[in-house]
Amino acid sequence: MANPNMHTQFHRRCNAISRRDMVRVGSLTALGFGLVDWYRLQAQAESQGRPRAKSCILLWLDGGPSHLETFDLKPDAPLEVRGPFQPITTNVNGIQISELLSKTATVCDKLAIVRSMTSPLGEHGLANQYLLTGYKPSPVLQYPQFGSVMTHLRNAPSVLPPYVTIPENRTTSSGFLGSSFEPFATGGDPSKPDFQVRDLDFFPGVDSKRIQRRREFLADLDSVQASIESRNLPSDSAFEKAYRLVTSSESKKAFDLSDEPAAVRSRYGSKMFGQSCLLARRLVERGVPFVSVMNTGWDTHESLVLKLRDGYSGAKVGVGLIPTFDQGFSALISDLAERGLLDETLVIAMGEFGRTPKLNTRGGRDHWPRVFSAVLAGGGVPGGQVIGSSDRVGESPHDYPVSPNDLAHTIYTLLGIDPHRELYTTDGRPVPVNQGGKLVRELCG
Amino acid sequence: MMKLLILTGLLASHVEMALAVNFDTEIIPVFTTAGCNAGACHGAAAGRGGFHLSLLGANASNDYEAVVHELEGRRINQTHPEHSLLLAKPTGILDHGGDVALDDDSPGAKRLVEWIRSGAPRGEQRKLTHFEITPERYLGTEVPVDVRLQVTARFDDGEPEDVTGWTVFTAADPIAVDIDSQRMARITRRGQQVVIARFLNRVVPIQLNIPFSENPIDLSGEPRANFIDDEVLKILSELRIPISPPATDSDWLRRVTLDLTGRLPDPASIETFMADQDRDRRPRYVESIMSNEAFNDYWTLRFSKLLRMHSQPNDKDGFNAYSEWLREEIRKGAGLDQLAIQLLTAEGDSHIVGPANFGRMINDAREHAELAGHFFMGMRLGCANCHNHPLDRWTQDDYHGFAAVFARLERGRIVSLTSRGAVTNLRTNEPAVPRIPGERDLSGNADFRHDVAHWLTSNENRYFARATVNRLWYAMFGRGLVEPTDDLRETNPPTHPELLERLADDFVDHGYDFRHTLKQMALSNAYGRSGQLIDENRSDDRFYSHAYRRLLPPEVLVDAIADVTGIADRFDGQVTGIRAVAIVDPLAPAPSLDILGRCTKAKECDENSNTAGGLSSQLHLLNGELINRKLTDKEGRLHQMIHDSKSDEQIIRQFYLLAFSRMPITEELHHWSNRLSDSDASERRSKLEDFVWSLLNSRAFLENH
Repeated sequence: MANPNMHTQFHRRCNAISRRDMVRVGSLTALGFGLVDWYRLQAQAESQGRPRAKSCILLWLDGGPSHLETFDLKPDAPLEVRGPFQPITTNVNGIQISELLSKTATVCDKLAIVRSMTSPLGEHGLANQYLLTGYKPSPVLQYPQFGSVMTHLRNAPSVLPPYVTIPENRTTSSGFLGSSFEPFATGGDPSKPDFQVRDLDFFPGVDSKRIQRRREFLADLDSVQASIESRNLPSDSAFEKAYRLVTSSESKKAFDLSDEPAAVRSRYGSKMFGQSCLLARRLVERGVPFVSVMNTGWDTHESLVLKLRDGYSGAKVGVGLIPTFDQGFSALISDLAERGLLDETLVIAMGEFGRTPKLNTRGGRDHWPRVFSAVLAGGGVPGGQVIGSSDRVGESPHDYPVSPNDLAHTIYTLLGIDPHRELYTTDGRPVPVNQGGKLVRELCG
Repeated sequence: MMKLLILTGLLASHVEMALAVNFDTEIIPVFTTAGCNAGACHGAAAGRGGFHLSLLGANASNDYEAVVHELEGRRINQTHPEHSLLLAKPTGILDHGGDVALDDDSPGAKRLVEWIRSGAPRGEQRKLTHFEITPERYLGTEVPVDVRLQVTARFDDGEPEDVTGWTVFTAADPIAVDIDSQRMARITRRGQQVVIARFLNRVVPIQLNIPFSENPIDLSGEPRANFIDDEVLKILSELRIPISPPATDSDWLRRVTLDLTGRLPDPASIETFMADQDRDRRPRYVESIMSNEAFNDYWTLRFSKLLRMHSQPNDKDGFNAYSEWLREEIRKGAGLDQLAIQLLTAEGDSHIVGPANFGRMINDAREHAELAGHFFMGMRLGCANCHNHPLDRWTQDDYHGFAAVFARLERGRIVSLTSRGAVTNLRTNEPAVPRIPGERDLSGNADFRHDVAHWLTSNENRYFARATVNRLWYAMFGRGLVEPTDDLRETNPPTHPELLERLADDFVDHGYDFRHTLKQMALSNAYGRSGQLIDENRSDDRFYSHAYRRLLPPEVLVDAIADVTGIADRFDGQVTGIRAVAIVDPLAPAPSLDILGRCTKAKECDENSNTAGGLSSQLHLLNGELINRKLTDKEGRLHQMIHDSKSDEQIIRQFYLLAFSRMPITEELHHWSNRLSDSDASERRSKLEDFVWSLLNSRAFLENH
């Protein structure tokens, strides 16, 4: 085999040569296919496969959505497994998803569905961290989540916060990178007519001249304290970021959903999730690198039909979790595509694990990390494909197991971040962006 | 095919060695070292690929059954051991979901072959009587350095054996310590490194320390207030980390008042303290503030978070009884052992009997056991619901047995023990036998909560004392000796093991009086160091060579802003003038506290909240009502001083004292006098408002340092 360093290089770029190719190249080398040719091959691959994603929208389905009711139905499994919903065909031959995802079925050509996600962690907190960082939680170190890593490495000073979460984050995101890489939480409910980002407007009587003066006074005080402690002042403090945000009219416009035509707003649905997706689109349109949308309630230990489809008992038109997701998600994908933004925006929809294959006695499903699904689109991800599969009853991966670590490796690669790049803890310790994950090449085009 | 031939050839040379291999003590370690019985593989609750082993070999009888008898005995082929599924799968001869887990010429594979060849016996039951790791503590000088790890075990039937190869070593920080297949640990980073060794049911943390500097330092002459300093200095000198000078009196005063009472010291007590020249003034000050109502309020809030106290919908009475009871226990200085017993055993009308609400904060017996484990033992028992805890000693029997202790509890308004109620042990699918975790089953039909309460507060175990002193340490130093503070277990050792034990002893010896322990900490020199960094201790964040900066908790910050500005907050549904620390119910509406990141029911409250100090709270401080409304209030301190014709200097001094607990030095006074003076009254007013605003947004104010 080639030397291990080369091996590493292969994985740095999405479109580089896969391991299978390398085996082939390796054997060719023995037959006289020289290293020079090999490098040429790799250079070609690199020029084609520049990561295209400039931004990322993470739709976090908190609680662990059931794979068996969304993207991985098992119509032929025994009754106690297959659950209440039927699969439907999509606009891609051979791909079926849940009947509750009828709008998503029309954009399947843009989606890559990974049906063989697998993890050993079935507790919300731990699984959350694993999926969002690619690292299994450790008592020694809190690892940072995607958004924090991206904003840490993407040094793009802009008026808008580089990492926005709608409406609030449930977990600490920045880990060892520190609180300056926490996302900016909008608060509120974007579906409400009076939605406003909290505290974005000046307090009455405090104009920009006074804000500027406060900034100068504060700098004086903080430099005194820093010299007492013999520390350096932080280069871009939370205050400086807040200052930039509130003194710009651009930021106010970015968060103003009333600026959108009524037709666009209704396309995303009237629910909080849909309007959050719309806000996410407005933000990436204006160059925000990372937006996460929190969608809670997926921890469905009971009453799948009520929670996933109906939303409330006796509903004529389902407004439960899946139809709500369907509306917002499909609108986001097609809207991004129509605006020419999909190619440079990576969209990820996933939760921390799947649900047990067997329905429990309360008509729900419990935690099941051994196999579940994740959906990716845009950002150079080839659509219209299913990657991996689960077994007959959705219990274990049948082929192509993808760990959260592998997925993280791939997401970073898609975002143009070298997974091997090192980050540093406060005490100067190097920690790679991703450790040991394997590239899911099919996601990379 | 090739592989089979090699394996057969290899077997031939070992035929003579067919010794009786013991399943429980020699085969199970093969599974553990190869990872077969890990939680992600066959050790999962449901097994994997139809083959289930107990997690990390906790249940040898089941494992023997699974290996030898299940699947009509096809896992074992005594005629051709190499054809046994048990070998053919992990060596990769047959397709294996877990890839190649054992090389066919590895000692593990050889041992399996020998064992099968000798008839796959279970073997005699034998007990591990002696277990030794060398080194268990290592102190080096240089990096990188290789340290050979060696493990000796002795069973009750024979001679000491080298079991190094059958022990699993896991580095807590794999980037700093790499352990190769020969059990050589390569340390590449300076500091305190931890490796966990696991053999059968023994789990031992190994400490590998490399000093931060090549030059020894001498801390022997440093003053020591009590045993805390002995232990802290011991590790600092071992790791060669020099210490920062002591904090100034005013810094110490601000720090200790914030830590013990959640408030800034008021100007009068600053003046009294600074004027006091007695050498006992620090102990006297600590004692005096610990008898304040402010202390009671603040510690009621802290304990309420650990107890996950919250109101029930449409039922505030129970919550009020609970929080008033807690506050009263704290006020009268009851030992925490007495508090624990009441929490565990109380019954009756929860609107009257405060501690009876403990079991009403959660929904069922399992959650009751988890909350009890969390609060009383600082442990996360949850993993053991579905499988034995992978990182700790807790088994499913422990978990469900512990839950069974609380199974008969009726959790309505009237809390009582009924005659019915059971918890199903998910391992056996039978009703769980009530059990003191890790200890013994409880038989009979008594109220076992009393047994558990007695056990937790007796000398039999140290969980409660350790968990408590660790949390007190966190409250005073900004970091636990064990982090996170709710995850005490053998595989997550403390930074200062001896210190934790001595603190726990001292706490128990003083009647579980947490004021005593807080006082010990507050008076130690370790606590009294300044936050001023020197080059050689700049990166230290866990050995207490200097004081660590901590953001004020949201409730404390909100109160401090109110105190400095002289305008109290208004909270919906609360009496006028209530302080934020007195709002014990996390569900009581308080938007400012939420934005600043207060602990709510949804969050793990032991953890340090990292969301504080982010952009959202910064925007709130900048544009929100929290500060701005108070600054412009005509009744507020600033406008009153302006109204009373106070000079710029008087205003500057007053607000420095309130916000920073010190007077401005001459340069500061000049600086601000120049910047603030203005002949236009309205311009002067707005400058002064901006000055006070900047004090309240400065790091020196927002942090305890």
